[in-house]
Amino acid sequence: MTVVPAQQSGGGGGSSGLYDVLELVLDRGLVIDAFVRVSLVGIEILKIDVRVVVASVDTYLRFAEACNRLDLESGPNKSPGLPEIVGEVTESGARGKSKGALSGAAETISDAFKQSRDDGSAERESRPRARKTAASRRKEEQE
Amino acid sequence: MSTYVYGITAAAHPALPEGLGGVGDPPMPVRVLKEGDLAAVVSDAPEGLRPKRRELLAHQNVLAEAGAGGCVLPMRFGSVAPEDSAVTGVLAERAEHYQERLRALDGKVEYNVKATHIEEAVLHHVMAGSPELRALAEANRKAGGGSYEQKLQLGEMVAAAVKAQEAEDAGVVQQALEPLAAAVGQGPESTGWLANVSFLVDRDSAARFAEAVDELRQAHPHLDVRLNGPLPPYSFVEPGPSEPAETITGE
Repeated sequence: MTVVPAQQSGGGGGSSGLYDVLELVLDRGLVIDAFVRVSLVGIEILKIDVRVVVASVDTYLRFAEACNRLDLESGPNKSPGLPEIVGEVTESGARGKSKGALSGAAETISDAFKQSRDDGSAERESRPRARKTAASRRKEEQE
Repeated sequence: MSTYVYGITAAAHPALPEGLGGVGDPPMPVRVLKEGDLAAVVSDAPEGLRPKRRELLAHQNVLAEAGAGGCVLPMRFGSVAPEDSAVTGVLAERAEHYQERLRALDGKVEYNVKATHIEEAVLHHVMAGSPELRALAEANRKAGGGSYEQKLQLGEMVAAAVKAQEAEDAGVVQQALEPLAAAVGQGPESTGWLANVSFLVDRDSAARFAEAVDELRQAHPHLDVRLNGPLPPYSFVEPGPSEPAETITGE
């Protein structure tokens, strides 16, 4: 009887581990010229180029506002994103926004997978759709 | 009927669990094709196979089961041979190469490490490290947030500082873990991580490797470090970068 090695995931558990290593399953591994590969057209969305910091006016304004709120007395170890730090600053909605920059990508990917499950496959056109979903969710969170 | 290939292993590899299912719905039964000292873990390829979540999971799962019994060279997802004899033909033709890889990877597993910045924490980090940024932020704060131009100026400088920090931290992650690995492979780029690195780790050193990742997290609280593994050695099956195979174009 064989034992499946437990998947150790630093972040979330469950199948989130698959998202984290998806690009290895799709872009690494042995390739043999004599074999064909299943078309990956349905997961173009995984190729979205989400730079961690995007040089844009939006990013600059967001960072400027975040820095204005930053309490330098609290120390770098204070866990970020807690309600008491963010306070009641509704106009800036730090939680929603920082989510947009950092975990937005992961959400877009899981959105794609949700769609992929529903539609059979997420075609190229689902890219703007998925982005819109993430954007509108952010908006909701800010309100 | 075409043949879906999961991975290549030694013919002496222990048998797979009974009733192991692979890709397809219902899952195709997984079987083993032997050729000389090598074996391929395969199943029939389902009609119209697509890169869906469940298929990717099935591919992963078969490799995890097979890998528990010894070294397996994992195929990239979606590799389909026209028939079983094409698979055994390739095993015979490239036997020496695959045997060399199996020996090189024996007893080793892949751990993938991805790092991102925790936004508030990294902003804190770069502000704390720059009197200039702090002064600018303070001036803006006193001016009730600052004008649009002042905000842009501060934001642009902060973004540049965070970018520089990303590059620095990518190096930090690699340097901290490299000494514990037999080999290092950069993961595919452009997926939103400041570091995406795979490490080939001896099974016996896996616990030590996980400890090193924990130490890294503690030493750099502004980093979100995700560790995934043990994985089949996806990033180490080829000695060099491999070219993608011919793909069937979706119609």
